[in-house]
Amino acid sequence: MRRTFPIVRLIALSAVGVAVALPFVWMVSTSFKPRAEADEPRILPRRPTARNYPLLLNLAADPRTGRKLDLRFGRWYFNSLFIAFGITVLQVLTSAMAAYAFSRMRWRGRDTVFLLYLGTMMIPALVTMIPNYQIMTSLRLQNTYHGLILPAAFSAFGTFLLRQFMLSIPRALDEAAALDGAGHWQVFWEIAMPLARPGLIALAIITFLAAYQSFFWPLIMVNREALFPMSVGMLSLNNSYGRQTELIMAATVMNVVPLIIVFVMFQRFLVKGLMLGGVKG
Amino acid sequence: MKRAFAILLAAFAALYVVAQVTLEGASGALRWATDLNPARKVQAQRFTDAHPGIRVTVEPAGDEKLLAQCHAGTGPDLIDLHQEQQMHRMHRAGILMDLTPHADRMGFGLDDTYPALRDCLSIDGRQYRFPCNVTANCIIYNRRVLDDHGVAVPTNGWTWNDFVRTAKAIRDTPSASGDEHLPLAVPSAPWMLFDLLVGHGARFYSDDGLTCTLDAPPAVAAMTLYHDLMHVHRVLPTPAEAAAVSGEGGWGTQGVQWFSTQRTAMIVIGRWYTVQLPHYPDLIGRLGSVRLPRVPGRRSVAMANTRGPGINVNTDKPHEAMLFLRYLASEEYNRLIIEDGDSLPPNPKYARTGADLVNAVAPDPSFHQTFIDAMETARPLDFSPFVDGGLVHRWLRERLGQVENRIARPGEAMASLAAEVNQRIRRNLAERPDLRERFRRVTGREWTADWWKETDR
Repeated sequence: MRRTFPIVRLIALSAVGVAVALPFVWMVSTSFKPRAEADEPRILPRRPTARNYPLLLNLAADPRTGRKLDLRFGRWYFNSLFIAFGITVLQVLTSAMAAYAFSRMRWRGRDTVFLLYLGTMMIPALVTMIPNYQIMTSLRLQNTYHGLILPAAFSAFGTFLLRQFMLSIPRALDEAAALDGAGHWQVFWEIAMPLARPGLIALAIITFLAAYQSFFWPLIMVNREALFPMSVGMLSLNNSYGRQTELIMAATVMNVVPLIIVFVMFQRFLVKGLMLGGVKG
Repeated sequence: MKRAFAILLAAFAALYVVAQVTLEGASGALRWATDLNPARKVQAQRFTDAHPGIRVTVEPAGDEKLLAQCHAGTGPDLIDLHQEQQMHRMHRAGILMDLTPHADRMGFGLDDTYPALRDCLSIDGRQYRFPCNVTANCIIYNRRVLDDHGVAVPTNGWTWNDFVRTAKAIRDTPSASGDEHLPLAVPSAPWMLFDLLVGHGARFYSDDGLTCTLDAPPAVAAMTLYHDLMHVHRVLPTPAEAAAVSGEGGWGTQGVQWFSTQRTAMIVIGRWYTVQLPHYPDLIGRLGSVRLPRVPGRRSVAMANTRGPGINVNTDKPHEAMLFLRYLASEEYNRLIIEDGDSLPPNPKYARTGADLVNAVAPDPSFHQTFIDAMETARPLDFSPFVDGGLVHRWLRERLGQVENRIARPGEAMASLAAEVNQRIRRNLAERPDLRERFRRVTGREWTADWWKETDR
């Protein structure tokens, strides 16, 4: 097949590649277009301008109106990164601990509890949105960073993913460590965690990407502009006076940069992690 | 591994400290849920300037968010309601404060705004919101484009037949400049249909609200006109044609952009369009306005609509929230709306003539007078308490799509729409005791499962 149809394969893959890349290219090119060209169906701007970026960052006033946009873009950027980072660190840690308990420790009802834990993945997030919100409100965590980070600091999916990794670690290693006097704490940190590294990194990437793009929960949880992540703050560019497509695209370009960096740096771990995690039931 | 996690946790803790230290406090402020438009901050600041000690923060709205927050007791103090059905939905959820006992006394009663908006602001005779801005569509035209095609500017009193002649002339007469232009841009296809419906005198429901009348001749005629403009006269682009010349979205999403970049000669829109003009200085001085074409034998009528906040019934700052509504009726706020060009001001006292509305980007009083005149004859869409208005509008948009894409004929689309709405009204009555009580009040008889057969509907 490979030898018979190399050109067909090349054309097909190129077509898919172009289809995938085109929206991204359009996004970047539109971020360099003036308002008048923003919605035109052409890829390259006729009069390219980099003005949209300083405008968003409040570094320049709009020359047509003489006004700055009064957006807190830098703060939203920081919030997105900080919240995603916090969620990632905490979720990887708590998931690893739960995964260890479900895979390396023997206790009564373990598998039943695990199935129940796993069952929470079957419930759509929107169904639990209001109860979660009410819990957060009761705890007075609305309009705080805690309210944005804590609910996502625990994950059934993360626990499941890391449990699969830890199940693949030979139990003989635990027994050898136990003979040397190691307790669970030491086995967890010295044996399970280093050997589950691909899974930890895979989970970290998945969690970071999801937390960074999260929209609905921050929309509900925070009202103060200073607490908005980028996803919510960008609503300012699509309001009742119309959509400012060129600014939305410039904001989106800046928004995706951290995601691309994270993905490019760790993509080999992501693939490896997901492949290894899927072989042991 | 332990060290790696320790470093990550330490970094997180450090970032947390930075985030908290640099976080500005906003507690105690009056919270206004609206769109995150930079203009809102200016409007909020002007209120604070006039009422020292009362800060207003602007936050994003959204039905799901508002319902979740209000039921948890943490909702905003002021809730912008964009359409009538949103007000009804929030009222049904028990979220809105009845403003009637306070409105007249504090200066934001129904008499402080346009008579056409009474039904948009009240339910069963009780007032639940006050407008931020007010709109009734007209047609704004670009004189340069019309001149380019040698077409005379339209004048008030024109009919849809006149409109078709003008639009065809723009379409068929080559321009002197060689540029190509579409005759008309429509920012929202459903809104144009709404204008056509009220312009034809169509009613959504019978007087008692128990029967959908969108299959009646006026409503079918409105949908037929929309169909004919698109498929017979070909002066509106079809969805496919629109998608072919748009960088994003399709017909209905890009109308403002098309008109602003002088690719169309006319646009169906409210005065709020002028808020965009600073971004398109080439257009300043080139624009004129005219009432929507009328149906022969009828006068020009557009849909009356408004965006306006209600007050959360559980607010702990009811007095401050009412002061804000009073501010919306004040000269200061109304002048701000006039200067920005953000639609018509909520208080007609400040918009008696076009000269009152003149601003830097639209200095011609006659341009503004058109919108004032349109508001005098405008009519809001009908509402029935027996069915969710948002649902009906969704079904109407679906039928509109079928007609645009020639999946259904206008008469068929409206008949199936009316049938679906009537079926839902019957189902709602069967399921909800509160509606059956209302049924008893409006008909004077008890509800029965086959009530609609008895009334020969």
